[in-house]
Amino acid sequence: MESLASLACSEQVVCNSPLPTASIWQDVLAQAVTGELMAAMNYSALSTICDDPEEVADALEHAQGEQGHAGAFAAEGRKIGVIVPSNVNARYWKRIREAFMRSIAERDFIACLIVQEIMLESFAVASYTRVGRAAPGSLGETFAAIAADEEGHIEHAMEILRSERAKGPQRFDDKVYRLHLDVMTTLTEMVAKECRHGQCDLCHSSCVKPSLSEVGLSTAELRGASLQQYLKSLDALGLPGEVTLQWVTQLPV
Amino acid sequence: MGHATAGVTVQGRGSDIDFALIGHQESWRSAADVLAVLRGAERTRLPDDEIREIFPWIPPRAVCNVEVASATGAKARGLYIDCFIPPDHLDSEYVHDNIGRVRAAAACAIKAGARIVSLGGFSSILIEGNLSMLPGTADTIFTTGNTLTVAFIVQGIKKMCALERRDIAWSTLLIVGATGDVGSGCARCLAPFVKRVVLCARNAKRLQTLAAELEADGTEVEIATSLEQFPIAADIVICAASLASPVLRLGRIAPEAIVCDAGYPKNLNPGGDMRGARVFSGGLGQISSGLSFMPDFKGILNRHPFPDVAHGCLLEGMTLALARRFEPFSQGRGFITRERVEEIETIAALHGIHLAPLYNAEGPLDGMGASI
Repeated sequence: MESLASLACSEQVVCNSPLPTASIWQDVLAQAVTGELMAAMNYSALSTICDDPEEVADALEHAQGEQGHAGAFAAEGRKIGVIVPSNVNARYWKRIREAFMRSIAERDFIACLIVQEIMLESFAVASYTRVGRAAPGSLGETFAAIAADEEGHIEHAMEILRSERAKGPQRFDDKVYRLHLDVMTTLTEMVAKECRHGQCDLCHSSCVKPSLSEVGLSTAELRGASLQQYLKSLDALGLPGEVTLQWVTQLPV
Repeated sequence: MGHATAGVTVQGRGSDIDFALIGHQESWRSAADVLAVLRGAERTRLPDDEIREIFPWIPPRAVCNVEVASATGAKARGLYIDCFIPPDHLDSEYVHDNIGRVRAAAACAIKAGARIVSLGGFSSILIEGNLSMLPGTADTIFTTGNTLTVAFIVQGIKKMCALERRDIAWSTLLIVGATGDVGSGCARCLAPFVKRVVLCARNAKRLQTLAAELEADGTEVEIATSLEQFPIAADIVICAASLASPVLRLGRIAPEAIVCDAGYPKNLNPGGDMRGARVFSGGLGQISSGLSFMPDFKGILNRHPFPDVAHGCLLEGMTLALARRFEPFSQGRGFITRERVEEIETIAALHGIHLAPLYNAEGPLDGMGASI
């Protein structure tokens, strides 16, 4: 398995593949690899604030799992003849990482779970599922398998979060809202129709978004599916649907 | 009335929810208005293309709290739950997705602890009177709301005849969508008052069954499976067809016929050539003692030129909640009788819920109601 450090900030490379759409998949994979690496870093950081040894072990296991996902995506890139770049300091990912690290600094285990398991994983599960359906061969299979894997490990976090909300729904919902403003604003900018603030620092040449239709994807579908998954996750936690709907409709477009 | 949760005020939940209203938006304009309210006045409205992209992804859920007051002083609290069916997805090709949305909306109502749920617009049409398709629970009762809709259509026809100085006893009544729950209910209620009834629907067997029922009571009945077939020019028309958009063309009707458009979405195109017909929106009631929404969707969820007006199907749930009668009053499948219509309109009247002032696309028709 490749080390976290070697993958976290790789050099960008030129696409040289016989697959006509390889350069598009290269950019899609770059986002996925970066997201997985950031998740691995987040879980590693989370392990440092866990009091319960079991939770420490869980967090480290998750970190390793996410690193494995990053490796699997990078391997899929090699299969189609591209080397997949990654950059956890890219514009949007850096802001998300900083938001997560603020919760680490506050030693707020629950806030970390909300960001990683509810917000980031909602986007990962929904978008990987969509990409899994659109991507050819083993590339699609890998996206679909990792989507299923991510979905599987959310449930444990959901149990912890539901139990936490039961102790004080108002306090819990206020915390989710604060994190929503911080993290979801960035995530929705990331999947907006166009990058209004310039390049995302991950696409290897021009922005990949206008080209997604060539591989049967669209930002509208990825954004819609991701926000839908997010709303359903919040529903599952017991937050009032009319409140979370307002939160989502107030996000930037 | 509520507590602030994370920048948004919500009312209490659980056992204090008396009713839920399940509905959907009939046009992209109304969908845009709903999202604009949710975004808040301080944010710019979403562009139309963004709305069309976002809307289909929203899972069915409560949009706002509703409070209705009775003339008796009683109050009932509820939720409006939107299915978020895209307005251009009401056609049959989306039926499975739409049934899934109605079921999910019903699950929201159950989860919220609503004691009675009204199914508005296509949400009852999709279920086709088969309420067992909805998630089951002993604590939440579902009603299609169609009995009160029929009551207001019938009242509207009678009022319009009076306003136009028409003798209903000499009229030929055409009902389009006659074998549906609302259409057949209107036929049973109005047949004794008119000279002749013309029933139009696609299903010939159901038409024959309904015609036989009305004829057994002494009514002169004609049936037709298309609007081109009926031989007599009708002078009163009720449009109660389940149409995804306003595409109905009435064809042969008497000059200056009274036409009640009871569809949601509307059956008739407001700009269509009706040759002097007196068209009005039917099946609507008005709450006299107060209706409020939180957040404030007044005039957005009930887009009528008069305050506190809503469709009969939604008002039925509110009426039953005010009366503390948590029962499946309307179950679909064409069982609406004159006796049941009289019963629900009596209950509604007791709580100050009456026929809404009549209007059409051009404005009020009777000069009675105060516009917003």
